[in-house]
Amino acid sequence: MASGIFIVPVLTLFGGLGFRTAVAASIVSVIACSSASAAPFLRNGVTNIRLALVLEVATTLGALTGVLLTGSLPVPVLYLLFAAVLAVSAWQMMARRNKGARTDELADPRDWSSQLQLHSGYPDPGSGYRRSYVVRRLPGGLALMYGAGVLSALLGIGSGVLKIPAMDTVLQLPLKVSSATSNFMIGVTAAASGAAYFFLGDIDPKIAGPVALGSVLGALLGARLLMAISARWLRILFVVTLVALGVQMLLAAAGVGPTRHLV
Amino acid sequence: MTTRHPPLEHLLAAVLQVGVWIGSALIALGMSCAWLGRSWGVSPVLSSHITIAGIALLILLPVLRVILMGLAFYRQRDLPFSALALCVLAIITLAAFLGMQLR
Repeated sequence: MASGIFIVPVLTLFGGLGFRTAVAASIVSVIACSSASAAPFLRNGVTNIRLALVLEVATTLGALTGVLLTGSLPVPVLYLLFAAVLAVSAWQMMARRNKGARTDELADPRDWSSQLQLHSGYPDPGSGYRRSYVVRRLPGGLALMYGAGVLSALLGIGSGVLKIPAMDTVLQLPLKVSSATSNFMIGVTAAASGAAYFFLGDIDPKIAGPVALGSVLGALLGARLLMAISARWLRILFVVTLVALGVQMLLAAAGVGPTRHLV
Repeated sequence: MTTRHPPLEHLLAAVLQVGVWIGSALIALGMSCAWLGRSWGVSPVLSSHITIAGIALLILLPVLRVILMGLAFYRQRDLPFSALALCVLAIITLAAFLGMQLR
């Protein structure tokens, strides 16, 4: 999860690459990771593909806005925004995720989610049955997802920072459905900005190729590797890394530190 | 009420999985050609093109799955959802067009 958030800081701060080149490379790897890890969730019926398609209208529109903004925002502002996203991500990692779903509630037949038949179910390994859930407050979810699309295109990230509150708190999805569906959606979101960056000539195959390949291997092997490390230590490691990178990005925004390529 | 589309879900899983393997294999091949190109007799331009083809395939995969979803919903006479798929495709096309124009 969330590996996309490390790629741009590493490529800019330690690789000396320009911000746009790093974002474009990161976007390709965000797409690759989404596609590489989607299959098991789709086969088990955890991913809500109807809800994903509805929310993708908002995220791709956001990505389109992000592409439009990317040329007009000064790079130090983007570094500052990235530092803020890293800080919020670190905070989210410390806080417990909202369990969200109350599976036994009835849906309001007049709301958007009912009209579009978005309510669904997911397999519960404990009982072996499918537990049904209700999708809440779709307009609020769409608004946050638009923001997630903008951030994703601007910063080359998966935008978990906005997707987590949107899926868990506003739409009130069960945790598994929330993770599987947002992972499924980010591929399409990043494909919109990825297509733009591809034609803009920002994708350098010498950078984006190895980064994408490494991310796919990481997505496939990492999940097994992570099982071996305790969740608590993993969380601490993530938070420390996020904070450290956040400070570096903040310094880069101020023009201090190793960033030679503020372009 | 719960709504699921198991055959479509299995198709999408297979397409994404196979597509990622092909895209990654192309990138790995392009990178290998770039490193060992001279001894293999492959030009740097060709190795770069192979890598770009792999990257383009990775970007196109999610687009392909939206097309498949749109077609599947259309076959099920679910017109609002096939329209939504079309809408997402239109936005992605617009983004690509924007990239060409801004270049």
